[in-house]
Formats: sequence, C-alpha cells, structure tokens
Amino acid sequence: MSIKFVICLNKQGALRLIRLFEPFPGDANSSQSTIAQIYKLISSRDHRHQSNFVEFSDSTKLVYKRYAGLYFVMGVGLQDEELIYLSHIHLLVEVLDAFFGNVCELDIVFNFHKAYMILDELIIGGEIQETSKDVILERVNHLDRLS
Amino acid sequence: MGSLRSFIKDVRAAKTLAEERSIVTKESARIRTKLKDDHLPQEKRRKNIHKLLYLHILGEKTHFAQVECINLIASEDFRDKRLGYLAAMILLDENQEILTLLTNMLNNDLNHPNRYVVSLALSTLGSLMSPELARDLYSDVENILAHSKDDFLVKKALQCAAKLIQRDASLVEVFHSYISSRLVSNQPSSHGVLLGVAKLCQATIAAKEMYEYDNYPEILQSMIQSVPEFFALLQDMNSTNFNPEHDVAGTCDPFLQVELLYTIRLLFELAPHETESYKDKLNDLLTKIATNSDGTKNSAHAVLYECVRTIFALQLDQSLKVLGVNVLAKFLSGKDNNTKYVALNTLLHVVPQEPQAVQKHRKFISKCLFDPDISIKTRAVELTFAILNNSNIKELIEELIAFLKLTSEDEKDLVAYVVEHIIGLFEQYKLGNEKWALEATVNMLMIVGEHISLEKLSDILIMINNAQDLNHKVQIIRRILDISFAKSEESVSSANVGWKLVSAWCVGEYGDTLLENNIYLDTELTEYLRTLDGLYSDDYRITGYVLTAALKLSSRLQNPSCIEELRQIIKGHTKDTNLMIQTKSVQYAILFNLPAKEKHDILGAMPLFEKKAKNGVPAAGSKPEVKRQEPDLLLELLDDDYPKKNTASNTAGSLLDIFGSAPQGPAETENGKDSESLGPSQNSVTIPEDALEAFQSTDLDVHMKLKSIDDYEAHVEMFIHANASINSLQVLAAVSKSKKLTLGNLSATTLAPGENCCQEMKITGGGKPKLRIKLTFNTGSPSITTTEQFDYKFEQKL
Repeated sequence: MSIKFVICLNKQGALRLIRLFEPFPGDANSSQSTIAQIYKLISSRDHRHQSNFVEFSDSTKLVYKRYAGLYFVMGVGLQDEELIYLSHIHLLVEVLDAFFGNVCELDIVFNFHKAYMILDELIIGGEIQETSKDVILERVNHLDRLS
Repeated sequence: MGSLRSFIKDVRAAKTLAEERSIVTKESARIRTKLKDDHLPQEKRRKNIHKLLYLHILGEKTHFAQVECINLIASEDFRDKRLGYLAAMILLDENQEILTLLTNMLNNDLNHPNRYVVSLALSTLGSLMSPELARDLYSDVENILAHSKDDFLVKKALQCAAKLIQRDASLVEVFHSYISSRLVSNQPSSHGVLLGVAKLCQATIAAKEMYEYDNYPEILQSMIQSVPEFFALLQDMNSTNFNPEHDVAGTCDPFLQVELLYTIRLLFELAPHETESYKDKLNDLLTKIATNSDGTKNSAHAVLYECVRTIFALQLDQSLKVLGVNVLAKFLSGKDNNTKYVALNTLLHVVPQEPQAVQKHRKFISKCLFDPDISIKTRAVELTFAILNNSNIKELIEELIAFLKLTSEDEKDLVAYVVEHIIGLFEQYKLGNEKWALEATVNMLMIVGEHISLEKLSDILIMINNAQDLNHKVQIIRRILDISFAKSEESVSSANVGWKLVSAWCVGEYGDTLLENNIYLDTELTEYLRTLDGLYSDDYRITGYVLTAALKLSSRLQNPSCIEELRQIIKGHTKDTNLMIQTKSVQYAILFNLPAKEKHDILGAMPLFEKKAKNGVPAAGSKPEVKRQEPDLLLELLDDDYPKKNTASNTAGSLLDIFGSAPQGPAETENGKDSESLGPSQNSVTIPEDALEAFQSTDLDVHMKLKSIDDYEAHVEMFIHANASINSLQVLAAVSKSKKLTLGNLSATTLAPGENCCQEMKITGGGKPKLRIKLTFNTGSPSITTTEQFDYKFEQKL
C-alpha cells in the first residue's frame, strides 16, 4: 500500500502539480507522454456515471477525482484499496481549500510551492502521515508564516 | 528580471504555443546563467529556484540545478533550506548519484536544534531513501525515535523507519522495539504516530524473508503481543463517542482504521498459528464494524471494504463470509459506482469460496449489467458467468440476452465474449431443454449476429444440426426462415451477416424437409439465395455459404427452372476475383453436373457432428471418421475456416480430384513426399503432417512447425520444399525487437525438385512469435538469383 505519484491536471490537460514517489516507468523523457496518457484516459471518462478508478498499466491503477476544473490523480498498486485513496484525495483538497480559502486553479498555479508544502505534511514518501485536517492546517499555516 | 509571479503571468499570457516556448526557453537560459553567478544574493537565488520548479511543472529540463538545490540546503537560512529540500524532493530521485552529496547535510539537519529543520530533513529522507542513505542515516532516525517528544517528528521518523527497513531488512533489529513502546506509552499517541506505527509494523512483516538474524520469532512474538492494542484502537474508533477531531463524514479516521486492519491482516497471514488465540476477538471486532457502520459516505465504505477484504483474505468463519458478501451486495445495490466497482471486483474473487451466498444477490449483479459504466458492465458479465450453474442457467442467460439487446456498437469485444461463453455453456451443460437452448441461440443470433465469429457460427450450425428432436429442429428452422423471408413480425438488420449465413445454410441443408412438409415453395427458397447472392456479392463469407446452399438445394428439389437458377448462382462466381470463391464455384459447377444419383450421395444430409477440438479445427481423432463417411467432407467444404483438408484417403475418386487440385490443400506436400521417397536422393528430411503452410512460390514452398513452446522459449522448424532445382540456398530471419532469435543449421543448401530441407530456429522472449524470413537462392542454368521474403506469425504465445 503506497502511493506511486500524485498529479493535478486541469480540464485541458495542463499539469498543475506533480509529485513522483517512484519514478515513472521508462526513461525520464517519457514522463510528459505518461502524463498525456493519464489525461487522455481520465478525461474521456464520464465523471458522473463512471467510477473514479481506472486501470492504467499492468502495475498501476489510477484513483482520481475532478473538483471543478481540476483533476487530482493518484497512482496506486493494483491490489490497493481504492476507496481509501479517494478519501486521501478528498482530504488533500479539503486542506487546500481551507488553506487558500475557497481554492481555485489560479491559487495553485501561483502558489504551487505552498501546495507542495501541504502535500508534504499530508504524505511522506508515498504514505499518508497525518489524517487530521485541523492538525495539518495548523501546521502549514505556521510553516507559511516562517518565511 | 521579474518575480516568479510575473514570470507565471507572462507564460500564461502567451497567445500561441510558439510564444510560450520562446518565453520559457529564454527564462530557462537566464536562470542557468544566474545560478552560475557565485555572488548572486540568496534572495535572488531562491527566486530562480522557484521559477525553475515552475519550469519543472511545465515539463522543462531542470537537471542543471541539481547541485544548486544542494547548495541551498547547506545554507543556514531556514527559507533556503526549505526551498532546497523541496527542490531536492522534486528534482531528484533515488537512483541519482548526487544523493551522496546529501548525506552530510541530512546528517546535520536530522540532529539540528530547530525542529522544523529536522522535520524537513525527515520528509526528504522519506522521499529519497537510497540504500546508501539508509545505511548512513538510520542511527539519526533512531535517535529521534528514542528521544524526541514532538509528535510531528516522531510520526515522520516512524515512517522513515518503515522506509529504512524496506531498503535494508537488517534494520528490523534496530527499529522493531518502537512498535510496542509507542503503542503502550503513557500518554495516548496521536493518530499520525499510530499511522507510523502501523507502517513500521507492516514493513517489519514484509522484511521477514530478507531478515538474516535468527531472532525473528521473538520480534514476531512482540508484534503479536500488540494485537490487543490494535483491537482496542479499532474498538474505540467504532464506539459511538469517538473524538470529533478525527471525524470524516461520520466515520472516525478511516485512514487509520484501514491501515490498522491491513496490519492485522498481514500479521494473521504471517503467523496463523500464533495468532489463533486472537481469532475469536477478531471475528467479534469485524462483525461489529461490518454491522455498525451504516454510513453512506465514501469514508464509511472504505472501512467496510477493508473489513471485507480482511474476512476473505484470512478465510474467517462462514458467518463472517456471509456477512462480507452481504456488505458487498449492499455496495452493489447502491448508486455509487465506486462501491459497485470494488464490490464486483471482490465478488469475482469470492465466488469460488462462497457460491451460495453470492447467488442470493443475483438480482443486484444482473442490475449492474445495465450500468452505463463499461468497466462495471464487464465485471458484472464476468460475475454472471461465474455464478452460473445448472439451476439458474435459464434465467441468467435470458438476462444476458436482454443485456446483449442494449449493447452498443463500441462494445463489440464484450458482446463477442458473452456470445462465445453462452455457446460454450450450451455445449457444456447437456441441457434437458433443447428447444429453449435453440430458441435462445436464435435470439442471440438475431440481436448480435454481426459480431459472432465464423468459428462460433459454425458451432451454432452444429447445434442446429445435432438437435435431437426433429420437431424442434423444424420449428427453429422455420422461425429462422420466416424472419428471413419477412413473414414474421420480427426482423433482422441487413448488417447481420451471421444471421444471413445461418439462414443460407438452413435453406441448403434442410430444403428437402421444408419442401416435404410444404412449409415453403421451392421458388421461395431459390429466390432467397438469389437475393442474398445479389445483395452480399462483396462479402466472401456469405457468398461461400450461398454457393454451398445453392449446390445442396439443387439436389433437393425437382423444379427445373429453380435448378437452372441455382446453377446460374454458382456459375456467376466462376470468374470471381476472390480466388477462394472462384475455386469453390468451379468445383461446385463440376459437382452440379454429376448424375443425380451420385450427386445425391455426395450432397446428402449431414450426419451428427461430434466436435472434438475446442478451436473448431477437426482434431486428429476425427479423421478416420472423415475418411469413412463421404458426406462429412462437405462439412469442410462448408466452412472456410478449416485450414486443412485431409485428402490422403482415396475413397471418393472424382470428388477428391477436385479437392486435390485446390491450391491451398496440403496435397502438394503429399506429392512432394512421394516423389522424395521414390527419388534417389539421400536427403531424408520429411515435412511432418502438422507443419503449417507459411509461404508458396513457383520455386519453393515453406512450412513451419512449432516443435516446442514454453514460458519464454520456442523451438521452430522451417521446412523448405523445392519445386525446382535450387542451389546456394540462404536463410535470413528476423524477429521483433522484444525477442531474440538463434538460427540453427540449415540441413541442405542444394535441393533437387521435390526435396526438402529443414532450418531450426530458437526464439526467446514474450508474446506471439512473429518471424520475417528472407530466402535467397539460385535456380536454373545459367543460374538466376531469386530472393523471396515473407512474414509468419504463430498463434501460440510465449
């Protein structure tokens, strides 16, 4: 049970956040095409009538959810529990939302480093490390003031 | 040079892709130069790295800044350190040598007085854990676990410890004691720390096989002693008055619950014997969780789902398994596609264990057949076949046929899968109710005939042919033809090729029965074939069947004008552009003109057909029968799929001559063998009967034989049969990149006409072996060099 990567894409497929906990298969130059494949796969799915899980390769399954114009995607193992990762995504989005105050795509574009900071308080090396929204928020707000 | 903000704004404001590229490239070059400047103020340095991280999101190359982020980490300014560690986590991965430069800095920062710095270092170590870093830094992590009172650091350190063990199993020795010490410490641990404990426990379990020292049993024992603590935690989280701080949509910390359940599962799996005494308690706990959480939210489902996974993974009591299946059924009955997806996935694994319990929820499974989500539909179909048995086959197949009615064009694969399985089932279950099976098959044919493969169509024909009760047979044929002749309210589309094939076959095969019973007029039948012939003249499959039907029908009716019309149909194709149809038509024209008696013998009714081989190719065992009974040969005539025609027998003279002249039969091979055994040649290579034809030319024929095939290696023999005198034969062969080819010896390079030689090959790799062969040789005198090239693909997989 471990997250292989977290990415955030907008509806047009532009990458907004990317965090790899294990390198994408293939060489480093192919990561753009891997992302394009992921986008193609999830954007073609009906987000109301289809599940939030889709098999991506013979080792990776995508758990994703669309919030307004942004897709949040996690790559996990085929045997992993899909539902809890969906909760992970939701927790991440809730924290982003509370931190930025009604988060929108532009907040993430201009403050990507803060979004990464939040991700680092939520997940460490592909594992969830904190589950309480309040604890994470208090922490990141404090860290944010340190600069 | 502007700020990060203005840079992002510029990129976003670019109107064309080219403009964006030029902004990005310029900025990238500028950052590169700036970073080289040793006197650049730190403030500016940070700004450049921020921009660089934005470039990374845009997919630009950023490798030139790897050293720079290490420089930032070395700074004493917290802002530098923070950005440096962030950049390291994003830009580096575990395989880069540059990580060794980090060792010292991480070592310093893990022991830093400022807890925020320690926290950064732990986060980075957790993400970038190379075996070298693990070896050099584990003692620093242990130091934090042993002395720190800060939950933020402890939870991260525990996660790091788990990662350290993953990299180096011997570190179990160092860290395992922190599992129990954290669980039974005086003050209750925070959920973050508990998550870390669970992870450490999981890592310790996973490291068992790699762990070299002999005290693992004691370590395992100490972990098992923590089981009551885990139980107590789960109990608390499932009591009514849990701490609202961890509430997630009505469930107490689903993340921790799932992790704990998973840890317990791993422990019980690893040590079934030692954990036996806790099994009753586990049963109680899981029952409690499964019955109590009635949430409709994803968080509650996640916990329930993990419970169910635990129940089936550990093969717990019957009552729990039934409970588990019920939970999954509840998932299926809901509206949430996510739970349906996981429920179907799990049920597929559970059916073999608990067929009865799953059966009970059939109606929910059937409902999922009609779900708009294809992945749910596919799984529901699989599951339907999995729960199918003698008692419910009728209902379920009717459900599936209803499902087929609603499938769309882009679900062809799924349709083919369903049809194939249903036909297989009819063969497998010798059904008492033959009439129903025939009806169901015809219904299926009517709905999705165009998606049924020729192979499966011939299975359907066999089914009709082999029907035991003559009444049923006539009824079903009548139904097919009524619909085909537009005498029924039902109709089929003109695209339904499968249907047309079957109906044409019925007209030819059962013309006499239908005429005797006065069901149809002879002109009706003839007219139908003629119409089909006209409408589908470009579809060789239908034309082939129509030709056969016309030939057969001609021996079954008396009306001279109809016979003439049938003759015209056959004659119309003697110049067909499709070689196969042309051959067939010419052969049939000869048969057509045979004296009535002989013709009637050859074209008599089909006998009961016994299908031996699953893939539709007559198995070796059926050959003697073919030789004995002439009419069986027609079966081969009827189906173009049969790759081989056994022509070695000499029973029906004239008929066999026709076959013998067919260009694709192995007759030539036989001839070749004969002449070889007569000839004076010392060359003793013979082409085995099961070698498949791969290539033909005027000078030589090539046959392939797969000698053996296993997981990753295939031995192939290629036989070259010379039709003319050949010398200086050379064989070149190639396989796709994913495979490797080794060429063995070529048995002869000079061949007289009729001689054979053999080339051995070995292919290693995965997938279906595909070969490209190039043959170079000289013929005649003065000699001419000829090169032939062809591709050949084997059906068997490596």
